[in-house]
Amino acid sequence: MKIIACYSNKGGVGKTATAVNLAYASAIKGRRTLLCDLDPQGASGFYFRVKPSKKLVKTAFFRDVQGLIHAIRASDFDNLDLLPANLTYRDFDIFLSRMKNGRSRLKKALRKVDNDYDVIILDCPPNISLLSENVFKTADKIVVPIIPTTLSVRTFEQLNSFFKTNEYQRKKLLPFFSMVQKSKKLHKDTMATLRKSYKSLLRNYIPFSTEIERMGLHRAPVLTYAGKDSAANIYGQIWQEIEEKAKIGW
Amino acid sequence: MDPFTYLIPSLLNQEKVQKKLPAIRHYQLALDSGEKQKGLLLDTFDAKLRQSNQLLFQAGTMLSLYELKTGQMFEQTASEDWAFPADLEPGPVSSRLLQVSRLRAFLPVAGVTFSLGHGSLLDDEGKTRVRLVHLFISCRQRSVGIGCTQYLRGYDQAHEDLRLALEETGAVFCRDVGVVFDVLGIKQEIYTAKPKVALNPDAPVKQSARKIIRSFLRIARRNEKGLVADYDTEFLHDYRVSLRKVRSVLSLFKGVFSPEQTDQLKKNFASLMQKTNALRDLDVYLLNRSQYFDLVPADTHEGLEILFRYFEGERQKEQKQVSRVLKSKEYQNEIDRLKKMFADGSSLPSGPRGEEKSFEFACGLVKKRYDKVCKIARAIDDQSEDSVVHRLRIQCKKLRYLLEFFAPLFPEDESKSLIIALKQLQDNLGNFNDYSVQQRFLRQVLNNTIPDFNGREIKVAESIGALTTMLHRLQWKERRQVMKNFARFDSPEVHTIVTKLFNIEGSENENNCLL
Repeated sequence: MKIIACYSNKGGVGKTATAVNLAYASAIKGRRTLLCDLDPQGASGFYFRVKPSKKLVKTAFFRDVQGLIHAIRASDFDNLDLLPANLTYRDFDIFLSRMKNGRSRLKKALRKVDNDYDVIILDCPPNISLLSENVFKTADKIVVPIIPTTLSVRTFEQLNSFFKTNEYQRKKLLPFFSMVQKSKKLHKDTMATLRKSYKSLLRNYIPFSTEIERMGLHRAPVLTYAGKDSAANIYGQIWQEIEEKAKIGW
Repeated sequence: MDPFTYLIPSLLNQEKVQKKLPAIRHYQLALDSGEKQKGLLLDTFDAKLRQSNQLLFQAGTMLSLYELKTGQMFEQTASEDWAFPADLEPGPVSSRLLQVSRLRAFLPVAGVTFSLGHGSLLDDEGKTRVRLVHLFISCRQRSVGIGCTQYLRGYDQAHEDLRLALEETGAVFCRDVGVVFDVLGIKQEIYTAKPKVALNPDAPVKQSARKIIRSFLRIARRNEKGLVADYDTEFLHDYRVSLRKVRSVLSLFKGVFSPEQTDQLKKNFASLMQKTNALRDLDVYLLNRSQYFDLVPADTHEGLEILFRYFEGERQKEQKQVSRVLKSKEYQNEIDRLKKMFADGSSLPSGPRGEEKSFEFACGLVKKRYDKVCKIARAIDDQSEDSVVHRLRIQCKKLRYLLEFFAPLFPEDESKSLIIALKQLQDNLGNFNDYSVQQRFLRQVLNNTIPDFNGREIKVAESIGALTTMLHRLQWKERRQVMKNFARFDSPEVHTIVTKLFNIEGSENENNCLL
């Protein structure tokens, strides 16, 4: 099982759209995928029309394994489940450490319901907190969307140096360009410059697309309503790159 | 959570189900009824699909396999004249049918129309909370709906709500194709080559013998139609096994019928079977075709190909011949005569032991055969002649048949465990014999028909040579297993069961010292 985090220390860069669409791309390849909505402002659940249950709002409901399992909801798509938002740091800590440990009760319990996941995708909140630091430690790869603008690039550089200072593995970071408008010279130039300094940047990038913007209206992954030739398909190609880098095998 | 697999004896009415859903939850049931298709419902003669609760439809070139337990429908294209899973391209249906039956043909059971619909129970956000598969089938004037809910993780309540709503509109739990057939008025007689013949332990053994023979004669006769039509090779196989069992009763139940009558009957049945010997030999060859090709070097394949084409031609001739015999007045009269003879029994004079009680007779017979098997097997070593192994095989087969015939007189678990214990040894001996028969058959081809292969004699002879060598090697391998397999059968557990079941007072004999 691999844990892929979607993270950005800057908001509004298409992080949740990335998490949702990558999770869908993973699921349609036949990988049993769990998307965890860790961002209280995030909308993964919203995009999948999953309402957090009343019980989920109460604090400390994840104290036991059963609580966690009961919180998982099937999406409308095969192989794709969702753990809705509202995890406290404490909950998350329990969750992540137990997910990693093959002998943990959580793993065993999931196996029992025939739902041992191949891939867990984390939609993380856009800040550097205890929770995100835990993600940095635990995730196998951290996908970071960057809009090719000065400000966005700056925040990525900050993240990179934070990793360096705190001795997190920088090779975990998989940045890629998001919301790219090729007609803008700034975008083109920024991409060219950044590609020189960061070899780990993914080859594929997400163009700015009204189809992706309309996800909020459709409340579904973009590939389910947009044509296969459209920008939507890029998520599949990005997922392919991630699979290769994270060595997600069969 | 288990899916709710249901049957509704009428149309699934979306509005009715919707009304039965709790209003407070604002559910919306979306249901498409699917495209109506006209086709055939297929199954094997021994109803393997029905027994595994699957339904196979063919509509034009589309093959659809529905699994009642899960509500899954698998589809793939197929030519309209396919009969065996191996005739189909690899696909989701063929892979499942291969698990159901490799040897049996899939034959039409009934003409039907059917449609597969899909449903979703949505919440007020448009999120699917339960999925539903619904299959509507009609046959002549009758129709039935069957379906299956699909639980989505975390939505237990919605699943329960839909289940209740379905039940309130007439759905009942059902995972049994038999019930579906009943509702549709489809009559499919259940066939088994191994019937359980209920026997009375106190009844005269002559009566039990007649009952067993009648039952196997019935089985043989049920296979005649399929044998003549040549649907698949199992019809002939079952036909022959049934007749062989009849012959076994006649020869093993010594003294039950008068000796003259027994001799005559044995001849009658042997003559019936003998007419099908060549066809069965050819069937076995053709069924093993790919195995034979794998056995021999590639440079002998050309000759083997010619040989198999010859076998195919011969089989066609033999099949026609057997069909002609089975359709003949002479055969019909003979088999009717035999059937009647065992049905009323008045023309069957009793032998000296005919009036003995079935149970005691059975115990004595099984015990004697068991002792005989042990005696022969224990004397076998590496140096023993093949003929001794053949004798052991025959005795084992007799023992197996006796255990099967008399199984209803003894506790099921114990007699079954004896049959299972014997099985491995029997399979081993069976293979040993098959390899030997096949070599003999090839020798006959070599001796008698090689000149028919005009100009290609050498190629054919080479392939026969190669195949015979390999078959001999395989036979030798089986031969080496016999002692090991017998040792496994010759266990204290088996002795205990035999002693317990069959060692009735007074039946002990000197062979017991072997135990």
